[in-house]
Amino acid sequence: MQAYQDEYIANLREIASLTMGRRQEGQSFEDYLKQADREKRQAEEKGKRNMLLLREELFPALDHIYDAGPEEVQGLEEFAGQLFDGREELDLGLFCQIRKALLSLARQRKKREDMIRQLYWLGMGYHGLCNKLVGLDWSQTRNYTSRMRLCFTEAAAYLKYYDEIEDRETRGYILRSRANMALGRFNSAGEKIRMVRRTLEILQDKGYQEKEPGLPWDRFIYMTHQQMAASISHSKNDQMSPEDVEAVMESVYIVYQRRLQEAAERKEKPPLRPGFSYNVIEYYCGMFGLDELLARLEKLMDEADPADFSGDGMYGIISLPAFYCQYLSEYPEKIPKREEYIGSLYQRALDYVDAFPKASESETLFLYLRQLSCTFLETGSSISYKEYMIRLMIRFAPEIYAHSWVVARAAVAFCGIILEEEPTFFDDIESVREIAGPEEKRREILSFALEAGLLHDVGKINFMGLYTHTARQWFEEEYEMAHLHALVGATWLSGRESTEKYAPVALGHHYWYDGSRGYPDSYRRLECSCRQIVDIIGLFDWMNNVTDTARLYTGVEKTFEEAVEAAVALEGRRFSPLLTARLRDGEIVERMKRAFEESRREGYRQLYEKSLQDMGIDGMLTGCYDETVRTAGKRVG
Amino acid sequence: MENMANGEIRKGKGYLVVERGGVGTARVLYADDVACELSGLSREKLLGMDPEQAARGLGTAVACLDGGHELWILDTVYGQMQHIAQLEHMNAALEDALKSAEAANQAKSSFLSNMSHDIRTPMNAIVGMTSIGLAHIDEKARVQDCLLKIKTASGHLMSLVNDVLDMSRIDSGRLTLNEEIFSLSDLIHDIAVITRPQAVQKNQDLQLEIGQIYEESLIGDPLRLRQILVNIIGNAVKYTQENGEIRTSFAQRPLDKDKVLLDFTCEDNGIGMSQEFLKRIFIPFERVNNTTISRIEGTGLGMSIVKNLVERMGGEITVTSQEGVGSRFCVQLPVAVAVQGRKETELPAGGTVLMAEGREDRVRQIAGCLEGSGLILVRVKSGLEAVTSLTQAQYEGHMPCAMILGQELEDMSALELAAHVRQLAGRDFPIVLVSEEDWAQIEYRAVRAGVDAFVPCPLFRSRLVEALASLLNREGEQEGSQASLNTDYSSYHVLLVEDIPLNQEIAMEMLSMSGVQVETADNGAEAVEKFEASPEGYFDIIFMDIQMPVMNGYEAARKIRGLPRQDAESVWIVAMTANAFVEDIRLSREAGMNEHCSKPIEPERLQEVLRDRFG
Repeated sequence: MQAYQDEYIANLREIASLTMGRRQEGQSFEDYLKQADREKRQAEEKGKRNMLLLREELFPALDHIYDAGPEEVQGLEEFAGQLFDGREELDLGLFCQIRKALLSLARQRKKREDMIRQLYWLGMGYHGLCNKLVGLDWSQTRNYTSRMRLCFTEAAAYLKYYDEIEDRETRGYILRSRANMALGRFNSAGEKIRMVRRTLEILQDKGYQEKEPGLPWDRFIYMTHQQMAASISHSKNDQMSPEDVEAVMESVYIVYQRRLQEAAERKEKPPLRPGFSYNVIEYYCGMFGLDELLARLEKLMDEADPADFSGDGMYGIISLPAFYCQYLSEYPEKIPKREEYIGSLYQRALDYVDAFPKASESETLFLYLRQLSCTFLETGSSISYKEYMIRLMIRFAPEIYAHSWVVARAAVAFCGIILEEEPTFFDDIESVREIAGPEEKRREILSFALEAGLLHDVGKINFMGLYTHTARQWFEEEYEMAHLHALVGATWLSGRESTEKYAPVALGHHYWYDGSRGYPDSYRRLECSCRQIVDIIGLFDWMNNVTDTARLYTGVEKTFEEAVEAAVALEGRRFSPLLTARLRDGEIVERMKRAFEESRREGYRQLYEKSLQDMGIDGMLTGCYDETVRTAGKRVG
Repeated sequence: MENMANGEIRKGKGYLVVERGGVGTARVLYADDVACELSGLSREKLLGMDPEQAARGLGTAVACLDGGHELWILDTVYGQMQHIAQLEHMNAALEDALKSAEAANQAKSSFLSNMSHDIRTPMNAIVGMTSIGLAHIDEKARVQDCLLKIKTASGHLMSLVNDVLDMSRIDSGRLTLNEEIFSLSDLIHDIAVITRPQAVQKNQDLQLEIGQIYEESLIGDPLRLRQILVNIIGNAVKYTQENGEIRTSFAQRPLDKDKVLLDFTCEDNGIGMSQEFLKRIFIPFERVNNTTISRIEGTGLGMSIVKNLVERMGGEITVTSQEGVGSRFCVQLPVAVAVQGRKETELPAGGTVLMAEGREDRVRQIAGCLEGSGLILVRVKSGLEAVTSLTQAQYEGHMPCAMILGQELEDMSALELAAHVRQLAGRDFPIVLVSEEDWAQIEYRAVRAGVDAFVPCPLFRSRLVEALASLLNREGEQEGSQASLNTDYSSYHVLLVEDIPLNQEIAMEMLSMSGVQVETADNGAEAVEKFEASPEGYFDIIFMDIQMPVMNGYEAARKIRGLPRQDAESVWIVAMTANAFVEDIRLSREAGMNEHCSKPIEPERLQEVLRDRFG
């Protein structure tokens, strides 16, 4: 690798360690704040340095890619390999950019082996991107999955010329691409199973094996059985034919037996993951009913060790409860007598995450947590979804939490100002309109604004790699993907009682007031049940982004005063004139500036004190709410 | 009957003069010839006879002449019955006429009432929304919402007025039909563009099928023809529930060497009509009265206008319907053929075309269109099959000559596949998209994905063949083909600013495909010099690399924009750079550039920029 590439990688690792927001033992809040500020600046400096390296070194290299010599190409290969090796990802966006350029080069030079390799790795890169889309509808993720599958398919198409391709590595890429064609979601479970089954047939074909005995066939076949066994998690028995069930059953048994044997050799407990597949396939075969399956899953979950931070431990504590709740959500009549148990599962999962060493660095843990978020069941005995999501944000994305807090408090302050002049301003919200008493109404509105502000960016949790680890400006593709956070947030929030009223805020806070721009298209401002609050959250989300949080990613950086000026200049287009009109009042601007500064500090204090652990999210919200209500709307000086 | 010899019905009446004597006695004093004929007796026998006997079996009418004499008028029973029937018929006709007049009067009154309601409703919306818009003039979104509602309401009002004016023209005989050459495929495409959005809004399955078409270039009044067809399909959409189905078909039958009969049918599974209403459907001012669809608007003149127009064109319209099941309209119109025996566009025979389409009906249509063209169609249903097939074909050196991309693949969107195939198969591989979607809506994405030509549905052989021919015979001077997206820009001048010779060469090659005249500069300073030295308005576009020695692209763009000449502001400057951050795009805009192309440059993107610039 070239020096700039090494430096880029080292900077990325350093940035990741700087953005963890960890408090040191015995550290005062002031010191913590200074440290957080210092680390943020350091991360920004590193990010800027990395962008400079890309501009001065990588981009010119990509610019001249068709002229590149073997050493330069090799350097790019290695650099890409460092950015993402199929498991650990440091910068998936940049990885894809380099792989795309290398693929173009291979096509231009008509180098078949290179083409197959680049197709495989680009497919892997797209697979990494697809993993960030957990929780979105198939219609919204289909294009990303197609891109991945097209790369693998093109590479796998060379299987026909297996005999003519003598390079072992290339043959390996072709076979792995063939297997990876089954990655990701399909229209139906049966389609996926048939795809894996065909791969197994190919891998078990002696003809292929004999021609390349040096390839790790046993591992290929076993991993494909694992893939088949894992497909049970996404399947429903009504989508599988008897042949599908048979194929899955065979793979499940093979994997289960092998894992049992390995565990026995190591004198360990039987692993949980194959146990899950084993029970589920028996259920699908009609060996027992749903109650028995649920009981067996409960037994498996109870066996999971909360101190085991291995893959199997994570699976047992986080992923298994997700599947368990998925079955329950399909049969809600089974929920009432399990409410307490469900509550204990969530509590255990959150405690586990709190105890997890370097939790924010584990992609697998994070993936499982997103699965748990998607299947979350809100019951009388469990923590609310609202609290669960805020806890996740604090744990994994403290910067996003701090931003959300600033937006929430600014929104509350601004709502207070508006209410002084127009008490009916927020009567577009049905629950507000119905309240007769002015004070009660005011409390309801401010409470709504506070929680809406806290939850508006919850969808960003899906794109953590983009928002907290990238530490550079986004590429166009990443920018488009980041847009999905609005949809993800709205999808998550709309499915649970404690959060459903905030779903429009998550959906619409990036949509332009005049409808001419912004995202997503599914937001219709004039049909929105709380559009005034959405407008307010959108305004302060933007202001905090350009003055603090997202300036690095978008390249837009402003002071508070410049942001106010820019917001007013966008009056009637991006922002509601009913709001920007108030930003012409110097006194209000001064007050909002103070609200921004104070709330930033408050946000960090919460992260420092981890208030949630002491009083729970509702307690914390009540405390902050009382303070907010007391001060909101009171004129400065 | 004895008085109806040989089945002949005698006409006329016979007369008897009868003398009435004492009580109950009477005798015939006189009988005329008809009376003899009707009674079948000779005059001699009749005279002195009892008139009751003489008139047996006949109808009689008696008139008193004086105290002792009567005039008996004899007639056959049938004749009398006929007479009565005539009278009854006349009475019934009078009654019907009265009813019709009353009904017409009622319909007219109802029409006036409806019209006043129908006019008032949109007028209320227009007036109300204008007031709301004015009251919130600073709220752009609310004003926009008001204006959209005003637009809808005024559009509706306009159609009401148009219908009334049309009917008035028809009533007064002032309606004239134009005779001009028109393209049937254009007409049907227009109809699809107009009617599809309405059906999409109601999530209906609107199918426009094309049967056997002999001649596409016809003579007639395309506007009125469109009015007829849009009205019928529009009604089907209007009177069919959400998620319903509307199936239309267009076909031709040869009439004689100058004419074809255009067969159009429109069948829906909507609310249907009662048999009673069916009788009145073409009567002006009638509308289906159904409480479940009370929000349906219209004058009730549409179908009456349609019938009049069809009849004026020499055709006929029929309708069958069943309440709750649906309706079926059939129109048959004789239309004159404009050009006969047009020379078919030729396709290179023997070539293979890969067709990627999941829909069986569309596959049949495409195959039908290319039947006899000499091309061999290879069909795949999914994107993965397409990529596998093309990869292997490329490896084996027998690439198909083009790919026809349908709109429904089993596993992915057509444009995702197009984007990958463009990379896989290279810039020269023709990709033709056949789709029902509105091209204006998808053009940006389709061109970016690498689609070369678009053929709209309903599918016409001529369009598909022309699109393929324009791509396959690229060296065959298929000039002026509307289907091809690679237009000739040979009159435009482009300045290509690029420091890397290989990049310069590649970009030159890509640009030359469009015919533009390309000049080059090796750095920003040279570009500024060349621009300064050129006559005003000489360069139409400058493609500007960013990272260059001597002077970079940003600086060069700023310098060009600052030159004291008129075209310094207007010349189109396009950044070409591998710097793909969103900030880079913004920086290029801030330097005065109009567009941004990411490197490595793709031909589709260059074509897109040229099209944006030159239209």
